[in-house]
Amino acid sequence: MASGEFRLRLCCGKRNKLRFLSHLEYAHAIERGIRRSGVEFCLTQGYNPRMKLAFGPALPVGTGGMREYVDLWLRRYVPTDRVLNVVQSSLAQDLSPSEAKYVHMRDPSLSAQCTVGVYEVLLTGGGATEQTVCTALNNLIDEGSVTIKQKGRSKVYDLTTCLPKEIVVRQDSQDSVRVGLSIRMGSQGSLRPEALIVEALHRQDCSAAVESVMRLDTLIESKTGLLKRPI
Amino acid sequence: MNCWLEPAVLAGNQNQVSDLLSRVEPLLTKVERPSRYIDSEYGAIHREAAYRCALVYPDVYEIGIANQALAILYERINCLPDCAAERAYLPWVDMIEAMRTADVPLFSLETLRPLIEFDIVGITLQYELTYANILEVLDLACIPVRASERTAKHPIVVGGGPCAYNPEPMAAFFDAFVIGEAEEAIGELITMHKAALAQGESRENVLVALATIPGVYVPEVHGLHRLTPEIGPLDRQVAADPGLRIQKRVAPVEVLGRPSGRRIVPYMDAVHDRVTVEIMRGCTRGCRFCQAGMVYRPVRERDQDSIVSEAVEAIRCTGYDEVSLTSLSTTDHSQIDQIIRRLTRIFKDSGTSISLPSLRVDAEAVRQSLLTAMSGRSTGLTLAPEAGTQRMRDAINKNVTEESLLAAVERAFIGGKRRVKLYFMIGLPFETDEDIAGIGELVAKVLAKARASTPPHQRGSVIIAVSVSVLVSKAHTPFQWIGQISRSEIVRRQQILRDSMPRKGVDLSWHDADVSTLEAALARGDAGMSKIIERAWANGALFDTWSERFSLTPWIEAFEHHGTSLDECAQRDFEREELLPWSHIFSGVSNEYLWSEWIRCGETLTTPDCTFAACTACGVCSYEGAGWSLSVAGSRDGLR
Repeated sequence: MASGEFRLRLCCGKRNKLRFLSHLEYAHAIERGIRRSGVEFCLTQGYNPRMKLAFGPALPVGTGGMREYVDLWLRRYVPTDRVLNVVQSSLAQDLSPSEAKYVHMRDPSLSAQCTVGVYEVLLTGGGATEQTVCTALNNLIDEGSVTIKQKGRSKVYDLTTCLPKEIVVRQDSQDSVRVGLSIRMGSQGSLRPEALIVEALHRQDCSAAVESVMRLDTLIESKTGLLKRPI
Repeated sequence: MNCWLEPAVLAGNQNQVSDLLSRVEPLLTKVERPSRYIDSEYGAIHREAAYRCALVYPDVYEIGIANQALAILYERINCLPDCAAERAYLPWVDMIEAMRTADVPLFSLETLRPLIEFDIVGITLQYELTYANILEVLDLACIPVRASERTAKHPIVVGGGPCAYNPEPMAAFFDAFVIGEAEEAIGELITMHKAALAQGESRENVLVALATIPGVYVPEVHGLHRLTPEIGPLDRQVAADPGLRIQKRVAPVEVLGRPSGRRIVPYMDAVHDRVTVEIMRGCTRGCRFCQAGMVYRPVRERDQDSIVSEAVEAIRCTGYDEVSLTSLSTTDHSQIDQIIRRLTRIFKDSGTSISLPSLRVDAEAVRQSLLTAMSGRSTGLTLAPEAGTQRMRDAINKNVTEESLLAAVERAFIGGKRRVKLYFMIGLPFETDEDIAGIGELVAKVLAKARASTPPHQRGSVIIAVSVSVLVSKAHTPFQWIGQISRSEIVRRQQILRDSMPRKGVDLSWHDADVSTLEAALARGDAGMSKIIERAWANGALFDTWSERFSLTPWIEAFEHHGTSLDECAQRDFEREELLPWSHIFSGVSNEYLWSEWIRCGETLTTPDCTFAACTACGVCSYEGAGWSLSVAGSRDGLR
């Protein structure tokens, strides 16, 4: 086996009850799982050496993730299926990785590369229908920008740049509606999908509640606007 | 212990959760730090069994998950046939409010089962200021807080832990207490309870049966509200016949440790978030203020091979990058140097560090150990001189000299440390203002030594953290007869402390006078204290250990309501011949020894550690029939 430094990208999850982990808790859980797996990882330089590990954009507490990316630097080349196998058995099922791929050492960091999040929001109650949700969101998008209040502070988001793709709304059941939307993430913080939807519904006097929020994917956007997965 | 569970029952099996899940999950979106309530940690055990035991820590998850006693019991019970242990913690105030609003009872983490559905609920009594929390646990679980109001449909509520050495303040709320090391008694207790349940015995008969187990104190049977007139009340009887005392349980050295290495790995940052390996139990240094040093006797050292193998296995199983070698006085272990050397070698280049809590500074080996430990990743250095002058240190039998402290600091700072934490106490018996000012003078010397041992360009980063607590006299110690100094006197002495402390390079913190006074009142309270605790809880006392939540108001009202005062209870002195509230509990250390130590305190005479010198006749090893004995793995000669 060759030795040196090898950058392995893992596609992990943050599902079910574990969506309630904070980003820091999530990062610790992944790190400890990798330690348990016995994979030979690289350490950072410095007085307190840590596992060399990098994460993609953070998820808020309560938001689940289907494809969350983690870069891990290994001391030796190990076939991806073997790494996957040992890491999967060392992590809770709701966090465990589904895919792995070696990436170039000089690739930009995950947080710099991944600029678009694809979300699915489930709405229930309040008489929400596909029609009302669709209308509410379109009306808001037509305004061009939205002001979201969070933790006592207001922030204005330009919807023409925040939303790179069309929003998809479909009736899930008689009492629930699913909204699919992609949001461009910036260095200044990204718009939360549920905040956008709640604001839109509020303006339509619709009291539907957000049941769950799931980030389905995190994507890399090319200069030409093409979206692709980090793996 | 040879048994461990098959992998299928480890975390990940979510098939057994109760229907509370659908009611709990919506609450998690409304509360802070929901990871306190979600279970699914690596190493958690999900086991289906007919007999269920809930182990409760009466504070929030991140505090409770670090508790070693509950972790040991969790492991032991889950190895018993047809028994399952699950964990529960007191939710934080936002979750308590959400649960009460949604009518959700307190539940276990593993199966989200309401606590009231368990056969037994074990609650640890680690600290007096969690007493109000315990009542909140019971009430939130829909279990009547008073034991006398419970019926056959309720679980048996059992207490244990260090505060159980004076059980009376909480006796009204518990069905039974395990005195001493519960891992030694829990199997018998569960077996007897299971048998009694199988035979359809009444709750009263169950309690009478439990009272026959050595080390188990059942207030309803032994105490004032006895069910069997021919037995109690015990506290009156022991005055005539000390043999009737409830004698603590002691685990033999062979069963100490957790060789499987498995631990629950929390998702959230917990206190002491690292692997802990207990290397020794008990301490015979004989510090006169220290309850743990008295009640956990005799000293039992584990063998270095078992310690090293457990540490390595635990790091492998958990994924932690730090292992802490715990005990009351880790550097007293006769093989500590070998243990640290071996672990340092094994963990080299893995980013794994070794930490040593509870360091003493009076042994050459300590200095060697510190230096060795420093070859790994940096960990904190904490030393406990406890008093500022040699006279005071001799009075409390803290056999530490200024020279040894300064030598330890010098070695540590030459080795690369830039911060050291020192623990002191004020409010000690026979303490003078000069003794308090002596703390500041000693800290100044430590600071000077630390700076002198640091390269000039790094001297600006040298910090001496000083934490000063107030003596709280505890049961079963030589100070058990003496009350606390008044609150105004605590404040006055703290002012002397502040005035005497160097300003630059010292980070000084001290314990709140109100908190210390309440702790003192509860620690030596009698059965009458239960009404005060219940009243204070009803007044809103909760999370008293959290400074942002602590308020003395509900407590003062409760004391006054019951015709006494907080200060009176805290400052109360007991007479030598007086029947103490904990007279019916026997820790193994004789009252004669404790009294002689109190006299020697007044004469500033020190008593040597019996593992280095001759037997000091504390009574533990010689106690007839108990079979307790000192167990030292190697030789302590080099550690003196």
